[in-house]
Amino acid sequence: MDGGTSTTSATPDWRSAMIDVSALSLAELAADAETDRADDSPLAHCLRRLADDLAHPGEPIAGFNSAL
Amino acid sequence: MTVTGIGAARPHRLSDAALAALGAGRPGPGVLDELRRVRMSRHLLLLRQIAALAGTACLRELSAAETTHPARTRALLDRPLFGVWAAGCLTALRDGASPEAAGVGHLTELAARARIPRPRQAERLLTAAHDGLSISVRLEDSDPLRARLGLTPTPPLSEAGAARWQAAFTEAWRLLVDRVRPDAEVLSRVLDCVVPVETDPAARGISATSVHAYGAVAISEPADPAALAVGLLHEANHSILNAVLYLFDLLEAPDTPGYSPWRDDPRPASGILHGAYAYLTVTRFWRTRPEDPLARFEFARWRAAVAAAAEGLTGLTPAGERFVGALLDEVRPWLAEPVGRDVLRLAEGANRDHHLRWRLRNLRVDPADAAALARAWRRGERPPPVTARLHRAPRRALEASARLDLAHRLLRGLPLEGSAGDLAYVRGDHGAALRAYRENRGDRTDWAGLLLVSGVPVAPEVAAAAGAALGADRPDPLAIVNWLS
Repeated sequence: MDGGTSTTSATPDWRSAMIDVSALSLAELAADAETDRADDSPLAHCLRRLADDLAHPGEPIAGFNSAL
Repeated sequence: MTVTGIGAARPHRLSDAALAALGAGRPGPGVLDELRRVRMSRHLLLLRQIAALAGTACLRELSAAETTHPARTRALLDRPLFGVWAAGCLTALRDGASPEAAGVGHLTELAARARIPRPRQAERLLTAAHDGLSISVRLEDSDPLRARLGLTPTPPLSEAGAARWQAAFTEAWRLLVDRVRPDAEVLSRVLDCVVPVETDPAARGISATSVHAYGAVAISEPADPAALAVGLLHEANHSILNAVLYLFDLLEAPDTPGYSPWRDDPRPASGILHGAYAYLTVTRFWRTRPEDPLARFEFARWRAAVAAAAEGLTGLTPAGERFVGALLDEVRPWLAEPVGRDVLRLAEGANRDHHLRWRLRNLRVDPADAAALARAWRRGERPPPVTARLHRAPRRALEASARLDLAHRLLRGLPLEGSAGDLAYVRGDHGAALRAYRENRGDRTDWAGLLLVSGVPVAPEVAAAAGAALGADRPDPLAIVNWLS
C-alpha cells in the first residue's frame, strides 16, 4: 500500500509517502530537478504517486444542490 | 556529509488523533496548518517536475523574485489556482507539448506579479466578522484559471453583483458562527477563494471543488444565506478530503462504481466517500435547527444517508478504516435523535425513493431475461431468476425528483401541485397514492412510487422490465410486484 504507516509506539502516527518540501526554495527545487534520483529513493516514490494522481484525477466534485 | 534540499526533506505525517479528527470532520488548527503545508508541498513538487521536463531555466525569474520578494512570491505559489495551472502544465508536458504550448510562460508572469508590491487593480475580497470570529477570502471573478474548476464561471462581476455576494456572505457567516462555530473556524482556515459560476438549469444551486485546488470553491450565486453557508461547508470538506487522499490511500479500489445517495448516476467508491464526508458537515449544520421542519427533514435524511454510505464502503486501507471509523463515530449518535413522525416519514421516504429511482435508472435487465419474465407471467409460473447489470452513466446526473420537490414545498407550507400519486404520497395518504400509481403504464417514477408506498421488497428494475415486456397485456403493476415478491 502506498502511504499510511501506523506505528505502535505510545504516540502512533501516520506517515505519508509524500515528502514535505513546503519550506524549500525554488533554487533548491531547480537544483534537484537536474539530479537523477535512484528509483527506490523516497522522492522517486513520492513523484510516482504524484504522477498517478495526475493520471487519475477523477472529475471535479460537482453537483451539490445547496438551495432547497 | 550533511544532506540538504529535497534529500533532507521528511515525509508528511499526521498523528493518529489528527487523522481521527479529520475523519470526524473536526480538525484543529494545527492539523489544518499541516494541510496548508501539504498544498504548498504539492505545488512545489509539481514545479520541480515541470522544471525537470521543460528545463530549469523556466524557474529562473521566479526564483529571483523569491529572493527579492519572498512573501509575495510564496503567497502566489500557495494559491489554489496555481495548483490547477501546475497540474495542467505538467500533464501537457507529459503528453508531449512544448514548454510554450504547455503554458510555462505563466511562471514569468507570476515573477512579474510578485515584484509588484501593490497590484494596480485591487483584488475583490469577501470579508465577514461575527461574535469574535472573522474570515477573509478572495472573490475570484477574473483569473482565466478559474474556468478549470469544473463549472462555467460567470463573467467578471458588476459592482452590484459583488455587493450581492458580500451581503450573502455576511449573513452566511453569521449563521455559521452562531450555529456551527467549530465548522466556521475550520472554514476560515481552509477557504482561500470563492469563484462565482453560472447556475445550472438542472440544479437550484451548484458548487464544485477541484482535486488540484485545495481551498477554492466554485459556486453559483446562492438563493439565500443558508444555501451559501451549507455550500461552503460542503465544498470545504471536499477540499480537506482531497488533501487527505493526497497523503494517504483510504480505499483499495477507489474506482469501483456503486450507489451514492446524493447522485442519480453511479459513483466510484472515492466519490461515495467524498459525498459522505461532505454531507457530514451539512448534516451537522441542519441539526442545529430543530424547530424548522425543512431543516429537520434535511438532518433526518442526510444523517441516515451518511451513515449508510460510510458503512457500505468496502476495501478500506488501514488509514481508511481509521478515517471512516471516526466519521461513523460522529454520525451514528445522531441517528437516535428524535425527529417528528411526519418529517421522519418524508425523510426516510426520500432516501428510499432515491434508491429506487437510482436502480431504475442505472440497472438494466437483459432483454432475454425480461422476455422470460413475460413468458412465466403468461403461463402462471413463478418468476425466473433475473440479474441486472449496472449501466455506466455517460454524464453527471444531479438528483431530480418531482416528489422530493413536493416534500420540500409541503415542509415549507407552500401550495402543492403535482401528480395525484405524488400529492397523496407527500400528504401521507398511501392508499390513494397506491391507487394512483397502479395506473402506471411504464413511467419509472411511478414504479418507484408504487414500491415506495406498497412497501413490497422487490427489485424495481425487474418489476419495470417485466411490466415493459408485458406492455400489450396491460397487467396491474401491483400484481406484478406481488408476483415477484
